Amino acid sequence: MRKLLIGFVAALYCLSMGAIAQTKEIRVLLANHPYGDLLKSAIPEFESATGIKVNFESLQEGQLTTKLTTEFATKSSSVDVFMTRPLQEGKMFYKNGWYEPISGYDFADYPKNVMSVASFGPKAYIVPLVTEWQVLYYRKDVFRDAGIKVPTNFTELEAAAKKVNSDSLAGFASRGKGAAAVTQLSSYVYNYGGLYLDKGVAVFNTKAAVDAIRFYGKMLGDYGPKGVTSMSWENIMPLFQAGKVAMWTDASVFYGEIIDPAKTQVAAENVGIANFPAGPKMNSPFIVTSWGMAIAKQSKNKELAMKFLVWATSKELAAKGMASNITMARSSVWEDKAILAKTNPGLVETRAYAAKHGNPLDRPYMSAVGEARDLIGELVIESINTKGTSTNLDKMAKDKVAQVNEMLQDTGEYGK
Amino acid sequence: MSKPSFTERNLQILFPLPAIIFVALLMIFPILYTLFLSFTNWNLTSGNPFTFVGFNSYFRIFTEPRFLNAVARTFAFTFFAVVIEGVLGVAIAVILNRAFFGKSLAKLLLLLPLVATPVAVGIVFNLFYDPTIGLANFVLQSIGLPQGLWVSNAATVIPSLILVDVWQWTPMITLIVLAGLAGLSEEPIEAARVDGASEWQILRLVTLPMVMPVILTAVILRLIDALKTFDIIFAMTGGGPGYASETLNIMGFKYSFEYFRMGQSSVILVVLFCVVFGCSLGIMKLRAASEI
Amino acid sequence: MQNKKVLSNVLFYVMVVAIALIVLFPFLWMLSSSFKTQVDIISWPPKFFFAPTLQNYQKVFGEQDFLKYFMNSTIIGVFSVGLSLLLGLPAAYTIARFTQTRLAVFILLARLMPGISFLMPWYIVFSRLNLMDSYVALILSHMLIALPIVVWIMSTYFATIPREMEESAMVDGATRQYAFLKIILPLSGPGIITATTLSFIFSWNNFMFSQVLSMEKTKTLPIAVYNFVSYAEVDWGGVMAAAVAIMAPAIVLTMIFQKYVVKGLTMGAVKG
Repeated sequence: MRKLLIGFVAALYCLSMGAIAQTKEIRVLLANHPYGDLLKSAIPEFESATGIKVNFESLQEGQLTTKLTTEFATKSSSVDVFMTRPLQEGKMFYKNGWYEPISGYDFADYPKNVMSVASFGPKAYIVPLVTEWQVLYYRKDVFRDAGIKVPTNFTELEAAAKKVNSDSLAGFASRGKGAAAVTQLSSYVYNYGGLYLDKGVAVFNTKAAVDAIRFYGKMLGDYGPKGVTSMSWENIMPLFQAGKVAMWTDASVFYGEIIDPAKTQVAAENVGIANFPAGPKMNSPFIVTSWGMAIAKQSKNKELAMKFLVWATSKELAAKGMASNITMARSSVWEDKAILAKTNPGLVETRAYAAKHGNPLDRPYMSAVGEARDLIGELVIESINTKGTSTNLDKMAKDKVAQVNEMLQDTGEYGK
Repeated sequence: MSKPSFTERNLQILFPLPAIIFVALLMIFPILYTLFLSFTNWNLTSGNPFTFVGFNSYFRIFTEPRFLNAVARTFAFTFFAVVIEGVLGVAIAVILNRAFFGKSLAKLLLLLPLVATPVAVGIVFNLFYDPTIGLANFVLQSIGLPQGLWVSNAATVIPSLILVDVWQWTPMITLIVLAGLAGLSEEPIEAARVDGASEWQILRLVTLPMVMPVILTAVILRLIDALKTFDIIFAMTGGGPGYASETLNIMGFKYSFEYFRMGQSSVILVVLFCVVFGCSLGIMKLRAASEI
Repeated sequence: MQNKKVLSNVLFYVMVVAIALIVLFPFLWMLSSSFKTQVDIISWPPKFFFAPTLQNYQKVFGEQDFLKYFMNSTIIGVFSVGLSLLLGLPAAYTIARFTQTRLAVFILLARLMPGISFLMPWYIVFSRLNLMDSYVALILSHMLIALPIVVWIMSTYFATIPREMEESAMVDGATRQYAFLKIILPLSGPGIITATTLSFIFSWNNFMFSQVLSMEKTKTLPIAVYNFVSYAEVDWGGVMAAAVAIMAPAIVLTMIFQKYVVKGLTMGAVKG
């Protein structure tokens, strides 16, 4: 018994000593994102070039936020560098002082509106990595058979959905799962002339915004796939790949996946990508910085962390990212002919439009964004369930706006 | 006989002491921490340090419809899941309570669901329930029934989740009750049979009352876990669509790690703990009564 | 009469087979899906006959470092169960012999707490102690799952051993602790196997604690499986293969120790 005990203690001791720190070592948290994967495979090069050992971990985006928050909020983090979602957690992380301001980095290669969500006041805190914008995916073969053109505005979008919709084919799909739908709904709201927040005040109860929510609900209620109110991209994409959806509005990042022959039953030449259709007021789809990279404020290895950050956000790696269909935030890669030659023309064209006319936000940009998204999500679900006809929607929108404004006041962001 | 040593005299304290210290060390801090936070307004989205608000968060949350719905949902989920599992579990145990060819294989099969990893089970059932490509709708369609939306519809999500829970945990009740039945003495049953009671009467009036304590113990075990069900709901719906499958545990998680309202989340967790504690206490009392 | 008996026998077996099929069905579905390509999985009507592929398993064991996660889960399971036995056996013994009900309830409290309320506090403690990058934090947290199971099962098991066993030894001058070590424990093999298997499986399946407390070096299997649902694709085949991989060890353990596991599950309830 005693021997067993000693053995146990000895083994435990060895296990805990396995973590003894080397001198040049940093801890990096990456997301399960194609760019995170790319970094993972490139890290050995960085390690051998600099002699810095990189302990990285890659997590699903929700888990990543959970982990970062737990570590930072308990003031017990050992993270040095991490991937971060500027629109989702940027404001909150900044307010809590979890981002280290980044100085001595050349931000000239990033468009102004991209930097607007990466900096607070005069200082930059996040290096933008990946951009995405809303597009319309459609089935060329279905359109050809039905003799219709690619819709360029909401009226045509609805007509097309109506025409091709059948029992075995959903005419139209977009996210319907409450909070997840909020980002995709944003372009609809913009194109109707509405906004989620205007100068720090919630305004998604304006006629324009509610009309947009009604239209979105009508489209999904009438022509959407079954069970759309619990669908995010991860449910819609397999349906599109299985040939059960004729049109799908979502972020540009999924293009690579839906034309990958190993994953889809729809031949790549039958998959089209087009600009997001215009609304009654304008055409301003979202184009957002979905991922960035930041240094943790409490990092004890800021110099090493900076070295890693500069490398991980470099032009060379951005070019590599472009080659594997990742739409990078740097402007230069979209001007480089050699890179563009290898990039899918559909992505190049839709980005050009969105970069010129798009809106840099796809959700209420506030620190309590998680809760606000759930509240707007309630409107989306109500609208879908009633096919946009809900008589209750205006009142609900008013209530939710009041709640979001209350949250903005609680966090001191109201009217700013 | 020599005087008992110190160790021997204090054995009943010394033996469990390491376990007590361990449990206390791991639990006391979290309990105090959660209680403490439940009296603050700590909210990470504000970026401000917290202040004490006394019972305000408790008052506030008890007026929130979303919270009250979650409480009701937690009870509904637990009630239906545990009742169905109890009834089915006992019924199957009664059916299987005889010698038959392949009994040990049947017992092995019954064990499998409860050792299956819940997160993985949830993912498998998600594919099964998928309204467009899932097997569940294919089965309905093949036998001529209308297709369902399963976990994708607010009206059917809780029953669909209960179905998964029932699949996973009915076998546990069956196994426990089977063992209880095997341990019963034959005499009262034989006596009833001699008196001319029908098999159904024997089951209802003799056998079931005798195994009642066993059934209730199985129910306590299930009840505690059903009230706290997390993995399956988290992996399958995350509480959706909307808040339609949001139980207290899921709500607590969302308030902590999606809304970052630590104070409010602690209130939810304290309430959940009280619910779990109260329910288990109630059933234990019931069990004590049934043993007399 | 004879016919009626045959009929009821047939009916009985039909029911048994039906129950078995319902129980087995999700496993079979998972297993068959794990050999399908993504294209086959998403086709409608569902394909019951298809050309099986091993690509999902290659992905699970190749691209994802599943063997490492497998080892992590094993290490954490073995140590947390081992230590729980070390702490739990003596406690279970005195609970059984001195009917320390309050103590039993106290240890069961660990099962009543909502797991989420542990996460932040533990994080604070373990990181202050510099234990985050090691297995220690996870082993300790999983012990809180394993210990109540050990105590629950073993206290009822010890109660079934007649008191005369150690009392006769004590009359001969042996101390009680000696009697516990040399007489009671050797008699408790089946109970210990039961407690070990069950608590190992529960540790193996734990998701919530590992989600926050594990780091890359110590990531466990359920987290890795959940991770498969990654940013830009739902790899159903990969997820199913991973689900098979994660469940297989628990199922094999169950098959080997079937007799004991059933006993353990039922003992606490039946005799307690």
